[in-house]
Parts: sequence; structure tokens; C-alpha cells
Amino acid sequence: MLDMPSTDTPLVQARGLGRNFPQRQGLLGRARDVWAVRDVSLSIARGETVGVVGESGCGKSTLGRMMLGLDTPTRGQMLFEGRDLASLAGAEKRRLSRRMQMVFQDPFGSLDPRRTIGAQIGDGLRIHQIVPRHDIRAEVARLLDQVGLPSAAAERRPHEFSGGQRQRIAVARALSTRPDYIVADEPVSALDVSIQAQVVNLLMDLRRDLDLAMLFISHDLHVVRHLCTRIVVMYLGRIVEEGPADKVFGAPAHPYTRALLSATPSLHPRDKDSLHGVLPGELPSPANPPSGCPFRTRCPVAEPQCAAAVPDFRTLAPGWKAACIKAGA
Amino acid sequence: MTRTTRKLLLPGTLIGLILAVIVLAPVLPLHDVRAMDVPNRFAGPSAAHWLGQDEFGRDVLARLIWGGRASLFIAVGSALSAAVLGTLLGLLGGYFRGVVEALTVRASEVILCLPPLLLALLVVTILGAGTGPLMVALTLLYTPNYARVVYAATLQVRALDFVTAQMAMGAHPLAILWRTILPNVMPPLLVQMSLVVASAMMIESGLSFLGLGVVPPTPSWGLMIRAARGAMEVSPLLLLWPSLALAGTILIFNLLCDRLQAVLDPRNVTAGGALWLRKGPRRAALPAVPAATDGPLLAITDMAISVNTSERSLELVRRADVSVHSGETVALVGESGSGKTLTSLALMGLLPDQLGISRGQALFRGRDGRVTDLAQLDEDGFRRFRGAEISMVFQDAAAALNPVHRIGDQLAEALRDTGDAQEISRRVVDLLRHVGIPDPERRQRAYPHELSGGQRQRAMIALAVANAPRLLIADEPTTALDPTIQAQILHLFQKLKSDTPDMGLIFVTHDLAVVAEIADRVVVMYAGEVVESGPVAQVFARPRHPYTAALIASVPEGAADRLVAIPGTVPPPNAMPPGCRFAPRCAHALPACSAAPPGAERPDPARITRCIRWKEVT
Ligand SMILES: Nc1ncnc2c1ncn2[C@@H]1O[C@H](COP(=O)(O)OP(=O)(O)OP(=O)(O)O)[C@@H](O)[C@H]1O
Ligand code: SF4
Ligand code: SF4
Ligand SMILES: [Mg+2]
Repeated sequence: MLDMPSTDTPLVQARGLGRNFPQRQGLLGRARDVWAVRDVSLSIARGETVGVVGESGCGKSTLGRMMLGLDTPTRGQMLFEGRDLASLAGAEKRRLSRRMQMVFQDPFGSLDPRRTIGAQIGDGLRIHQIVPRHDIRAEVARLLDQVGLPSAAAERRPHEFSGGQRQRIAVARALSTRPDYIVADEPVSALDVSIQAQVVNLLMDLRRDLDLAMLFISHDLHVVRHLCTRIVVMYLGRIVEEGPADKVFGAPAHPYTRALLSATPSLHPRDKDSLHGVLPGELPSPANPPSGCPFRTRCPVAEPQCAAAVPDFRTLAPGWKAACIKAGA
Repeated sequence: MTRTTRKLLLPGTLIGLILAVIVLAPVLPLHDVRAMDVPNRFAGPSAAHWLGQDEFGRDVLARLIWGGRASLFIAVGSALSAAVLGTLLGLLGGYFRGVVEALTVRASEVILCLPPLLLALLVVTILGAGTGPLMVALTLLYTPNYARVVYAATLQVRALDFVTAQMAMGAHPLAILWRTILPNVMPPLLVQMSLVVASAMMIESGLSFLGLGVVPPTPSWGLMIRAARGAMEVSPLLLLWPSLALAGTILIFNLLCDRLQAVLDPRNVTAGGALWLRKGPRRAALPAVPAATDGPLLAITDMAISVNTSERSLELVRRADVSVHSGETVALVGESGSGKTLTSLALMGLLPDQLGISRGQALFRGRDGRVTDLAQLDEDGFRRFRGAEISMVFQDAAAALNPVHRIGDQLAEALRDTGDAQEISRRVVDLLRHVGIPDPERRQRAYPHELSGGQRQRAMIALAVANAPRLLIADEPTTALDPTIQAQILHLFQKLKSDTPDMGLIFVTHDLAVVAEIADRVVVMYAGEVVESGPVAQVFARPRHPYTAALIASVPEGAADRLVAIPGTVPPPNAMPPGCRFAPRCAHALPACSAAPPGAERPDPARITRCIRWKEVT
């Protein structure tokens, strides 16, 4: 049983991940701990899409990078098919990277402005020898077609495309190595609805056809709700609620999840003044998190008791947990 | 002729000429550079000696050309070898950091501490005078310059997503360095190169002048200057020729590097070229016409924006009709590439270089009640409006704010004409507080990168409203933000509107839900055209254009299993279908739709649709 990845081992497993970015104050000051991610455990099986929602700065992207081996966790382990990514050497890790791909948030920064689209999509094909050299052009054309772009796009450079078009190019690039696992960091937040719908449908098809495991980071709750089977809500580096999509969105247990849902703009605004009930303030600094419940400085139902200790991650129903003293009570 | 060749034509030809003359020196019918003719020393220009003769009666033209051989060989040679060495060190140091950084960049920086001339003297003293040692000295001297520049650029480029993407792709670090990072650090490298060639020529002349470089009687420009200086009173022309050659060559090199840099930039951004060099189809500002006091703040009618290159002229935006009354919020909504950003940039006079307004009007009513056609303004004309009357909030606040200045200073710069220093610093704090930045006294000292995304957007908004513009254009200001912060920023816009009831707001977005939350009227754009416009509530309740209807149906708010996606994509600007541009994707298209572009129909006095079948299908 030692090296055999058994069938119920999740493809991707994070165990107690934590990432510290110590920050020095001034030239001689002492380094201060800044935990971007704390104690996150999460697993993703093949064919499963886990949605991570939360505000920027809450550690979503750091978590995504760690879960792809682009960043090394300070604490905990990141396992891919049971193998710790931190223990892999350079060449082996590069080989494994064929199976794990990333789609980035920023459609302006994620493509090299100086190389043609075709060359950039072809990189993965060449590095990992996915197709014979003379088939690269055809494969690039197929990938472009898969994301709804004409094959003539291969000859052009990124600046000739608008934001949405670039993001689809980035998806095509990620798909080029035929990965098993994709981390998509805000992949549709810069897209328009009609294209977003195409990409979301595309990702759903890919999940079904390729049995893809996906970590889908987004702040668009509508999309996450639509696409993801399981939802993770993060706040200040911690998971505050985790559960099946219908539970988390249907009957949110954590006050922060509720606030997120009501802040999401809707085609049918409840009333013209709906924006006046917005959650005040911003995410506290991770360098100086509140004692006890991290959300208590903005929580509309906070009590003195909330400052006492970090609330337990309590199970509300099988697979549904929340970290709030009032949840499920 | 492409843009590239046109840009490189002038400096390329000049350099080519110089090189040709120098390379061909042995076969040209020149006098012997060492042949003395003492009786005719200091003779002026003559038919036999075009530039005259020097203190030994040698031919000046021949010596100038042969001297250029030595001078240029040394300067360009050492600039190139230093570039290769320095780039290597800078790339490795910047990419791998840590120990590698200490061994490469830091080590080479030690050399920078030594005075350049002293260092050169040291090397020449050790290795002896002559061309070879001089080149070694100059290479050593300039390597750290390159290393530093490339190191800084590498650090910057390395942090960008497309480099991370390459790492995620499993590309080998050296491949990333070569293929991705090197081309992107090229521009600063070229600037450095032009500086170094110039400086190397100066130092070569200096050292030869001191007798430590090229050994006489081999000519070099430095030696010629040195010799001519002694005879300045007798024959001032002798000093002129080598000096001219030196200065001219340096200038040409600078020009070449400048142009190369522009050509290598794939984006040809507006900021790339000197603004005063921009030729434009736009005419000078027309006299503003005073008009009735109650018209709209902005009335765009039938505006078209075209690319104008020598190969093609293409309309990217056409038939744009948008009007904004003061106090009104108009949402410009449409898919990416539909021309929302171009339309807004046109109003600011910030269109990229080769783009211009080719048709139509954009009448803007200024603070003084006079109406100006923005479509006719030139760069100078726009400068009067930007910031003061019309200002813009960009999608990417991180890119739009200057990363090297504190936000307080950037605001103060925008406010510089409004009072004395104390007054300004008070207003900076007020503004920051107004846009909801907590603890503004302290935060004004922050650099943009020290702020969160939401706060950066707030700072950007503060910058845009600093001078109380009459028209604020916001291009996707909340697109990159999280829901709670987006709600806050939308709320901020609503607050700004109620605080300045006269300000018109154009809110560009692709998110229909945001339109529903904030706008009074909506203008729907598709493939560079306005297809529908009207009051938000009416349009959303009953769209009168199939595209608007499909757009609303594709919002993932329903419970449907699969989202309704509009098939296909927006056609590229060079392959627009004839007639209705939506026809290839429209479920209701008829042959008649492709016959001619549908005209503007008015289902209601306040609404416009451009669909010939609006009565039947909506
Ligand atoms: N510098 C340029 N040269 C040539 N074509 C350009 C240039 N800039 C934009 N375009 C083209 O003009 C059209 C309109 O672009 P624009 O950026 O205005 O779209 P947009 O509606 O703002 O899109 P997005 O929602 O993606 O921001 C697009 O087809 C684009 O490819
Ligand atoms: S523990 Fe208290 S502060 Fe935290 S979310 Fe629950 S009620 Fe709010
Ligand atoms: S004119 Fe024809 S093709 Fe165009 S939107 Fe109307 S029905 Fe569709
Ligand atoms: Mg845009």
C-alpha cells in the first residue's frame, strides 16, 4: 500500500498549509510574521471543481500558487497523487508540471507582449513533447478553436486582442499540456458575460471530458455557484466556511458568506438603495489580525465573546463546516 | 513600406554610410595616412586634400576615415562586449537572486565605485597602451552599468504573470531567461547601449589624447583632436573635423538606439513617441461656439474611430451615438472588443498613436458654457480639458498610478494650480478622506504598491475628481475588485454623484448587474457600434435588440444547468460582416439583415435600437 495511490486518495491534497511572508520594519527592525494563509486543509478529487471565494488579500492567490507548487508552504504539506511537491527536485517537478496548469487573473500581464500567441501556446507542446513537432501548428489551431478564437490568431501578438480574448488564449495555453489539474485564479473575472458563459461551459465540459480536478478562485459568486461542486469561503487567510455549493449559497452559515452574497450586484437590484448596506471597512492587515474570530471587526453580529478565541471549524452537516460561534446554533 | 523600416531608414542609412566608408578605407583612393608633406603643413582644403593637411602635412580626410576605424572599433566593440557580459550577469543575478546575485551584480558593482578614467588608466598601465588593452579596459568599465540596468529590468519582468506561467509550464529556467525575459529587458538595454557607445568614444578620445590609447602614428579621432589642439591658433579647422565626426557619430548612434527601442515595442503606445512629433489628422482647435444653456453635457453623434496605417484604414468604432446630460450616469456596456475603451479614450484625446477620430462629432459643453467639438481637438487643445473638465478612472489602477511617487504627491501634482503648498496638502488629505481612504494623513505617504486594490482604485478616483471635472469617465473601475469592495466603490460613485450633482458620469463596464445597480441610462455596444440605448429599467425589462436580449440571458443568475452563451465571437475589425454586424450570431437573422446596416429606430422617444426586426422579435 506504500507507493500505490489508492483510488480514494484525492488527486490533490493540502494538509495544514500555511504561508508566512515575514516583513521587516525599517532597516534594523525585527521581522514581523505576516501569515497570508493559515492552516488550510483541502482536497480535490478528479472531476471535482472546488471554488474558493473571498476578498483579495485573503490569501486565495497564495493558496492557489502553493497548491500548484509555484510557492513553497511555510507549514504543512502539498500533496499531488500522494507525493509532497516540496520534496521533488527541479527536473522531476518540471516534468510533473505538465499535469498541473494555471490560468491567471490578469489578462494583461499573463501573456508575453513580445511573442506571438502561437509561439506561447506552443511552448507547452514543445517542452513536454505533447505532439510531434510538425503537428504543433495544427494543435495550436485546435486549442484556439476550442476556446473560440480563429486560428489566424496564432500569428498575432497579445496587444492586438482585447482583455477577454487574451484570457481565452491563456486558457488555451493551460490546456495545451493536457493537464489533470488546473488552478484557475480569477479566470473569468475580466470576461464579458456571453464569453464568460462560453468559458464556464467550456470548463464544465473539460471537467467532464478530461475528468479534470480544478481549483477555481473567483470573486464572482454567480459563476462559482454555477460551476463548482464544493465551495470554500476564505477570510484573512483562513477557511471560514466550506461545503457543498447548494448549502453554502442556499443557507450560508457564516456571517461573512452572507455579506458576500448580499454585496454581489444583481440584474434585479432588490431596491435602489441596496448598496447602502455594504459591509464597511476592508480586510484587516494580515500582519495584525484581530484576536479571536478574524471577521469580528466587520461582523454585523459580533459579540464580545467572539474576541476570546478563534472559533472552531464546526461540522454542520456531512461535508459542511463553518468557523463561527453562531453557526448552526 | 512598413512602419519599422520607415522608422529605421534614416539612422540605418547614416550608420550604413559611415560603416561603408570605414570598411572600404583600404580600397578608397585615399592618401597614405603617414605620408608627410612638411612644406605644406597646415595647408587649407584643396582639390587634392579636401579637408586640408595637418601639422605634418598629412591628408586630414584620410586620417579622419582611418581614425574612425580605430575609434569606432574600440567604442562599438567594447560597448558590445560589455553589453553581452553585463546582460548575462544582470539576467542571472535578477532571475536567481540569492548567492548568484551577490556573485554577479553586487560583485560587478564594486567596479562602479572606481572613477572611470582611473580604472581605465590602471588597466592600460598594467597591459600597456594599444587597441587591445583599451578595449579590455572599456569593457570592464561598462559591464557593471549594463548589469545594473538589466538586473533591475529582470526583477521587474520576473514578477509578471507571463513569466510565472512559463515556470508553471515547466520551462527550463535558462529557456525562460533567453526566450521571455531577455526580449523584455531589451528596451532599457538599448538605451544603455546608446549611452555607452557615446561615452566609450569620449573615453577613447580622452585616453588617446593622454597618450594611453591608440599609439601614433596610427590615427584616431582622439589623437587628432589632441594634435589639433596644439595648433589651434594656426589652423582651427583641424580641430573642427574630428570633433564634428565624433559628435555626429554619437548623435546618430543615439538616434538609432532610440528608434530601435520604439520599433521593438509591440504596443506602440501613445506615451512611446514624443507628443509634439505626432502627426495627426486632427486640425487645430476650432473656435468654440456658444450655445443654448440647456443642451447635454456631451453629445456624440455618428462618431467613427479608425486605424490609419499606410496599408489600411479601418473603422474600429463607427456610428457611436452617446449623449450624457449633466448629473446623469450613462453605462457603456458591451463585450470585449466592442469599442467601449476606444470611445472613452477618444473623449480624452488618449487614443493610441495610429488611431484617430475619422468622422462625426463629440460636442462637449465646457464649464464656461461654450461647446467644443472634441473630435477636432489636437493634443494642445485636449490638455486644457484633461483633468479640469473631463477626467478618467482607468481599469488598472496599479498601472495608471505612478509607482515611484507617493499617492499624496501625485494628488498634490494634480492640484498644483489651486493654491499654496499648505492649502494643497490640506486638500490632498480632504480628497483622500472623501474617497474613503482611512487615516488619510498617514496613507498619503504610501506608494501605490503599498495600498490594497480597493484603496488604489480609491486613490485613482481621488486623482480623477481632484479638479472637480464636469465629466468623469470610468473604464471598468470595479472589474478587478471583490464583491464587498466593488459594492463599496459603486457606493463611492453614488456618493460622488450626489455630492456633485452636476457631474456627468460615463461608466464603462461589461457587467450588466453593475449597470442595473448604478446607471440611469445604458448604451449597448457591439462590434464597434452602438446597437441599443435607453433608460436602464426600460431596456432591461424589455430589450428591443436581439443582442441586448441575449446578453441579459447569459448572466449566470438563473438556475439553468448550462449557461446561455451567444454562439461565436465578436468578428475582428478587419472582417466585419456587411449589414448588421450581429447577424452571424443572431438567432433572428434574415437575408435582409445583411443587406445594409440597420438604421436607428426609435421604439420610444428615449430609446434607440439598430435592428430591422425589432418590432417582431423583441
Ligand atoms: N492600437 C490598436 N490597433 C489596432 N486595433 C486596436 C487597437 N486598440 C484596439 N483595437 C481594436 O479595436 C476594437 C475595440 O477595442 P476596445 O479596446 O475599445 O474594446 P473594449 O470594448 O474596451 O473591450 P474590453 O471589454 O475588452 O476592454 C477591438 O477589436 C480591438 O482589437
Ligand atoms: S464568531 Fe462572532 S465575529 Fe466571528 S463571524 Fe461568528 S458572530 Fe461574527
Ligand atoms: S438586424 Fe437582423 S441580424 Fe441584426 S440584430 Fe436585428 S434581426 Fe438580428
Ligand atoms: Mg476596455
